[in-house]
Amino acid sequence: MTPAALEGFLAVAEPGRRATVTDYRAITGGYSRLSAVAEVRWEDGAFERLVLRGDPPAGDGVFVSDRDAEWRILQALSRARAVPVARPRWYDATGEHFGTKCIVFDHVTGRSLQDVLREAGDDAVCGRAFVDTVAQIHATPLDALGTAVERPANWDDYLDGVLEVYRAVDRQIADSSPVLRYASALLVRHRPPPVPFTLVHGDCQPSNVLVTESGQHVVIDWEFARVGDPREDLGYYTQIPMQPNVYHRDRQAFLARYRERTGLTEEQINPRTVEYFLVVGMAHLLAQILQALDAVSRGESRGVMATYLINAVTHQYSLYLDICRGVTA
Amino acid sequence: MISRPTTEQVLLDCCRVLEHDVLPGLSDETAQVRVVMLGKVLRNAAVRAAHEVAWMREETVQIEAYARAVAAATGSDGLRAAIDELGTGPHGSLHLADVVEVYVHASEALSLALEAALVAGCEELVREGELLLSARLAHENDVVGSWDSTGR
Repeated sequence: MTPAALEGFLAVAEPGRRATVTDYRAITGGYSRLSAVAEVRWEDGAFERLVLRGDPPAGDGVFVSDRDAEWRILQALSRARAVPVARPRWYDATGEHFGTKCIVFDHVTGRSLQDVLREAGDDAVCGRAFVDTVAQIHATPLDALGTAVERPANWDDYLDGVLEVYRAVDRQIADSSPVLRYASALLVRHRPPPVPFTLVHGDCQPSNVLVTESGQHVVIDWEFARVGDPREDLGYYTQIPMQPNVYHRDRQAFLARYRERTGLTEEQINPRTVEYFLVVGMAHLLAQILQALDAVSRGESRGVMATYLINAVTHQYSLYLDICRGVTA
Repeated sequence: MISRPTTEQVLLDCCRVLEHDVLPGLSDETAQVRVVMLGKVLRNAAVRAAHEVAWMREETVQIEAYARAVAAATGSDGLRAAIDELGTGPHGSLHLADVVEVYVHASEALSLALEAALVAGCEELVREGELLLSARLAHENDVVGSWDSTGR
């Protein structure tokens, strides 16, 4: 992913319109994909700001996701208009131009909702707006997604499958994780009431919401999106360490707002069910971290991110054990 | 061998060099984040170097006793096999790779013991197992301190 590669790619994507990249800089802050923002001037004088999002080199990094799937979801979401997303413009599906599969988006001028929340202090309005955005994601009509996202057959099998991820990764890696095995064995026996499947963002946090000048919320980073239980997004957000975390600031208000927006009941949406779905919502990401650490233990390098994320694993294990204690109490 | 400075002290000194000498000279944001992460990894490694052999051996003794109690209460064949496997490990060695090998066997026995206690409905044994998990996590938390997701 370089300015020259972008110019070459645009020449193919927009034949007959030559583009010059006038500025290009990498975006830091993501934990998985390579991102950059580029300013492009077309020979007809038009000016555009674009965002590039590609995979790191094979064997580098920790998190794995499918760019083809992300591209399909983004196109479906862009068409559905149920939740605002950055408009996906072009896709180098083979990596021929950028050396990696790469999605090119329109740049959205806005601030991270996490920054807005930080500045807002105790003002609860922005926190409520985040809940509304989460509910809006979950209200996306699944039919509008077409075949872009696979739909699980039924809720019980889906839950079993996700909890089995922990047992599978424990078998696969050289280290052993009794907390995961215990949580998996315990939670499969204590199921919360089901709710209908929805679109799940998969990395649901205010850092992935951009607030435009007009106040619109644009949701970004859809690489882990799937159809699943919407409480996975709520549970996932509870473990986000960046402050403020509006769930922890006022759990009851957060959940009451979410119930009001979705029509789900208190039996379905409460602190216990949200905790439960932290374990479910983190399953695939935690498994990927453990696989990366296993690679390091075999002598491979995954960059400093893998060993740094040992911290996150310990954090998750502590949360999981607390959740298990809550279930057995 | 040179025993002082200890491995812990050597690693902490590396952290100081990274944070005070290297980091201020970096202008690239990605490199800055990596150095901060590396400092955290080295601090974690320093704590591990100082304590991990002792912690793993202490935990292994407690886990083995617990696993035997669960095996006696539940008659789990899988657990008995895991306890036998644990017994074959290189218990007499203090080399880290050997201590880790025994500890991984002990961890598998703990997993099986908790699962067997759950299936058998032995609530007291489940609670005892949770205490062992708490002790394990207390050591892990001593290693990592807080989690702050640097760079995000």
